[in-house]
Amino acid sequence: MSDEEHHFDSKADAGASKTYPQQAGTIRKNGYIVIKGRACKVVEVSTSKTGKHGHAKCHFVGIDIFNNKKLEDIVPSSHNCDVPHVTRTDYQLIDISEDGFLSLLTENGNTKDDLKLPTDETLLAQIKDGFAEGKDLVVTVMSAMGEEQICALKDIGPK
Amino acid sequence: MQGFPGPLPDLAQLQSTMVAIERACSLIQMHMNPAEAEKIINPLRQSSMPYQTCRFILENSEVPNARFQAAGAIGDAAIREWGMLTNENRKSLILFCLHYVMEHASAADAYVQLKVSAVAAQLVKRGWFDFIEAEKIGILIEVKQAILGFQGSDMQSAGISFLESLVSEFSPGTSTGMGLPKDYHEQCHSSMELNYLKEFYCWAKSAALNVADKIVSCYANISEEKVCSRALRFMFQVLNWNFKSSPSALDNSSSKSNSGSFGIRPDMGLLKKFERSLLEPGPLWHDALLSSGHMLWLLNFYAIVRQKHSSDMLWFDSPLAVSARQLIVQLCSLTGTIFPSDDGEMHIKHLTQILSAVIEWVEPPNIISGALRSGRSESEMIDGFHALLSMATLTSTMLFDNLLRSLRPFGTIHLLATLTCEVVQTYVIKNDDEQTWSSEALDIMLEIWTVILGRSGNDMKISAEGISSASNLFSTIVESHLKAAAESAFEDDSEADYFHVSVSRRDETLYAYALIARAAVETTVPFLTRLFSERFALLSQNNERMDPTQTLEELYWLLLITGHVLTDSGEGETVLVPEAIQDGFSGVTEELQHPVIVLSWSIISFAKQSLDPKMRNAYFSPRLMEAVIWFLARWVDTYLMPIDAAKGQLGISGHDEGLQQHPQSSKKVLLSFAGQHSQGETILDTIIRISMTTLTSYPGENELQALTCWKLLVVLVRRRHVCIHLVALESWRDLARAFANERTLFSLNARLQRSLAETLVCAASSFKDLETSNQYVRDLMGPMTAYLVDISSRNDLKAVAQQADAIYMVSCLLERLRGASRATQPRTQKSIFEMGCAVMNSLLTLLELYKNQSAVVYLILKFVVDFVEGEVAFLSAKETSILVNFCLQLLRIYSSHNIGKISLSLSTSLQSEAQTEKYKDLRALLQLLTNICSKDLVDFSSFSNDAESTDIAEVIYVGLHIVTPLISLELLKYPKLSCDYFALISHLLEVYPEKVAQLNKEAFDHIVRTLDFGVCHQDVDIVDKCLRAVNALASYHYKEKIAGKEGLGAKALSSEESNGEFQQSILSYFLRLLIQLLLYQDFRMELAGSAADALFPLVLCEQDLYQRLVQEILEKQSNPAIKTRLASAFYALTSTNQLSSSLDRNNRFRFRKNLQVFLIEVSGFMRII
Repeated sequence: MSDEEHHFDSKADAGASKTYPQQAGTIRKNGYIVIKGRACKVVEVSTSKTGKHGHAKCHFVGIDIFNNKKLEDIVPSSHNCDVPHVTRTDYQLIDISEDGFLSLLTENGNTKDDLKLPTDETLLAQIKDGFAEGKDLVVTVMSAMGEEQICALKDIGPK
Repeated sequence: MQGFPGPLPDLAQLQSTMVAIERACSLIQMHMNPAEAEKIINPLRQSSMPYQTCRFILENSEVPNARFQAAGAIGDAAIREWGMLTNENRKSLILFCLHYVMEHASAADAYVQLKVSAVAAQLVKRGWFDFIEAEKIGILIEVKQAILGFQGSDMQSAGISFLESLVSEFSPGTSTGMGLPKDYHEQCHSSMELNYLKEFYCWAKSAALNVADKIVSCYANISEEKVCSRALRFMFQVLNWNFKSSPSALDNSSSKSNSGSFGIRPDMGLLKKFERSLLEPGPLWHDALLSSGHMLWLLNFYAIVRQKHSSDMLWFDSPLAVSARQLIVQLCSLTGTIFPSDDGEMHIKHLTQILSAVIEWVEPPNIISGALRSGRSESEMIDGFHALLSMATLTSTMLFDNLLRSLRPFGTIHLLATLTCEVVQTYVIKNDDEQTWSSEALDIMLEIWTVILGRSGNDMKISAEGISSASNLFSTIVESHLKAAAESAFEDDSEADYFHVSVSRRDETLYAYALIARAAVETTVPFLTRLFSERFALLSQNNERMDPTQTLEELYWLLLITGHVLTDSGEGETVLVPEAIQDGFSGVTEELQHPVIVLSWSIISFAKQSLDPKMRNAYFSPRLMEAVIWFLARWVDTYLMPIDAAKGQLGISGHDEGLQQHPQSSKKVLLSFAGQHSQGETILDTIIRISMTTLTSYPGENELQALTCWKLLVVLVRRRHVCIHLVALESWRDLARAFANERTLFSLNARLQRSLAETLVCAASSFKDLETSNQYVRDLMGPMTAYLVDISSRNDLKAVAQQADAIYMVSCLLERLRGASRATQPRTQKSIFEMGCAVMNSLLTLLELYKNQSAVVYLILKFVVDFVEGEVAFLSAKETSILVNFCLQLLRIYSSHNIGKISLSLSTSLQSEAQTEKYKDLRALLQLLTNICSKDLVDFSSFSNDAESTDIAEVIYVGLHIVTPLISLELLKYPKLSCDYFALISHLLEVYPEKVAQLNKEAFDHIVRTLDFGVCHQDVDIVDKCLRAVNALASYHYKEKIAGKEGLGAKALSSEESNGEFQQSILSYFLRLLIQLLLYQDFRMELAGSAADALFPLVLCEQDLYQRLVQEILEKQSNPAIKTRLASAFYALTSTNQLSSSLDRNNRFRFRKNLQVFLIEVSGFMRII
């Protein structure tokens, strides 16, 4: 696969399917939603009415899945909200480089070297320690709206 | 003091301990380093024989907290070491406390004296059956003398406060734990009731009498007033006693047969709402409470003192006033055999006497509420209401009404109505924050109405005056509420959450209003019709010129109240037309003149307007529509094709034909107008079309759509004979078609789609022919399965599946499948199973694909759980093996994705969300296993072929192998999960212990580890389940051993671990653990039974170890007295009661008894440091 083709793929991906519209009333707790341009996980939904005899509106509390900030939004429940396209991909961890980048093995045998280690000490330690012990680690990378982050870790090595 | 226990340390040592304790106490008080302070104080409480030290502190310390701690330590130590104290010791401890209280009666820091008094009371109770009668009297005589006032009023107060502690210690609800069986507390309770309680009451009464004269003539000083109020308070406490020995409590039948004749009726438990109870002390109390003029004295006393303070607004809340009123109100609920059997004459006299006094507290209503508005305390009025409530509870409605007639030209119900009017009017205004009393007052008032109007038959006859009062009251209620509704129409509905909490409370209020309306149906129903038509007409004429919001809100409220008046809430029961409405309107024979029918039609035709888009957009706001749907749901349940329509006609013509000619015809008209052969079908059709409208024309209005799905549609399919008409209607078929083939209903919240699927499938049971039922389900669900199969077999699945819209679609489909399988019935079982089989492979693919989308994974699991639950009992051997294989595959895939996975997140809330998701998944998996398990218990499948049949136990253990590694001890902290898990484990170990032996070591160890965790759990239920599991394991092993088999085999034996560490066998491990628990920890007596059951087989399996353990424990004990005691207790545990070494029921029972004795004997003093 040439570099150019790869480039084209990701561009199309970023443009067309970053988000999808979905009626606010059907979004439930634990779903995803875009608030103020950020991909969030919904941790609380409540409904109220605009005036006693008005229409329902949904009040969302979301947590940004990348920077963990709390965001809130109020949307009329018959309107559409943007729902982010959140994917999680598993990669096998090959190496951790000195400059804080991970080297990951993709499903089709290529490597992915553009993911940085998390800055948080404890998360960092969990990854580094596991790798240092020589375990076979699979990392799950969550991506949405052009951002990526490691969200889970799994030991698949023989017991 | 003679006989005071414990060695006397030297003065310097006492002094230093005291200083240390004082320092610790001041540390606590300043909130500095409480842990440090506890380290100093705890040894005092837990040490052996600390009495001399405590006494020294009590007598010498200047720090009240230190004295408080010392008193507590005496109590703790004495209860623990009770068995080791001599009788002299015990008595001297009690007397020391008593004297201390008396001597310090006037001292400051009353809480210290209270504590000492409470300790004395505890010790008296602990020794209640150790002391002979003379000893008890010796102790109590001092108290009596103090109370009677020979030594001044401070001593009186001290004496009364000791009695208060004593009585509360002897009441089971407020007693302190002593590590004794529950039985002991019961015995103390009844001994106190029989021998002393009345005497105490009389002491307090004389104390009150002594000072009352002085109070009346205003000579009393503060402490004398205090004595009086304390004495009255104590009398109130005594009358709150839960009297057990009264024969009337047992002999209900005789009192019931009496009630018809003169109107006194015992209504147990009705006062519970306000945490009060009926008072049934039995005939022994007659002289104390009734014949001695006690009541009259009390009422007069209160009236005179009240007169004197009439200008003092604060007096109503003074302790004296409050306790006197409490006592009066409590005496109002006096009932039972204390009254002679004189046709209730004396009882009625008693009530009238109280009423004549209480009426001053509440009458005239407008003056009282005026006084309250200007700042007077409401407590007296509220107490008056409570008194009325007691009277209403104890009398028939007629008698209750008549009670007042000797005092006033009108009946009690009239008074009640006037009072309620006043309260309601104040209540709805609400804008004044200080008038909070109105809500409490309204609660009590409505409770009285509920009591007197909520009865049936003879007990509820109302005079014409009463009916007209009720009718007037209802008009006032409706008008005030409509006014309030109109005024609040523009308020923002920001309190949506609050609204949900208060829905049940609002319904309760409306229910009471409805009872009032039903007492006067002849006028109130036409009244409602008029109000409703007026507002309906207003809307029709409006032509969009003015804002209809106020009218909408009024209609909203009218719909609610009308719904309550016309129908009862079903709560899952079969709903009947309310009696008052069935029996009312006796003159009506024409359908179109029946007020209830007129009202119903006017609301239905109003609702029908919502089908017109123009009307809908202009007037039918979501909120109004919610009320319409709610009303229709209740109305349909009650009036549409009622089941007793046919029965009602027969039943009445059967007996007393002539008398009930008129009521019969009006009832017949009412029950048949919406019947199967009348307009029932038309109405049904209208209602389905209205439901369709709310589901499709109110996008995003979840509240409204939820009401439609969960309340209205569910009601439609609940009764089979309605269903028969339903499935024949074109509108229903439209709904089904839209559900199956169109996209519109996908815009509903996924949960509602589940409920819709359930409802639609439910209707299938009404087809006569089995095949038609199944075909109906296939037509309905076929498109769903086809869609799922189609998605999962797409070539570009990987690319498409992760898109948000695809995920949404899959979620909706899964919810629909789940709804359908929840509606599985024998008739539709076949087609639902086909539905499940069709998607099995797709589900496995999707589970793989969506392994990172926890929401989808959860839906898949939940569908399978419900599917298995619905189907498993019906399946043949072959079908079972298909299902079971599928489930195991599902478990494996789930496990392979999740085992060893750690989710990483910076945010604690996201982290805990992830944890919660995992917990919910696992709970679903456990439910799945439990559901499969039930195949062994309930099996309806017609024939089974042994060759093909699946061994369910085998499957469960394989499942457990897969699931248990996912369950971490961390996750077991979720109460529901751990409850499910341990329920499953204990069930499995009890039913299939032989399978445990076949588990591999890792899985077995895991189970044992979790059991170990569970035995030390806080939750009694879980500990109990674990003990049962241990019992099952050990019993199995023992029985197998005796039969010469292997039992648990290698797993029960000690083994050398690879790392050289010696590993105990699990049985000996549990033996150690249990003994440790029983002896050294705060063991809960309610677990004694299951602990005995678990311990017994363990002891039998591991005899040698048990003997060794006992020796170890004995040798560790340095105190020779304790050592001998312990040794004999251990000996008795295994050797008394003809205990033998077999595990039969009798033997287990004996061991249970032995263990209980053992625990009483040794618990407590083993915990001394």
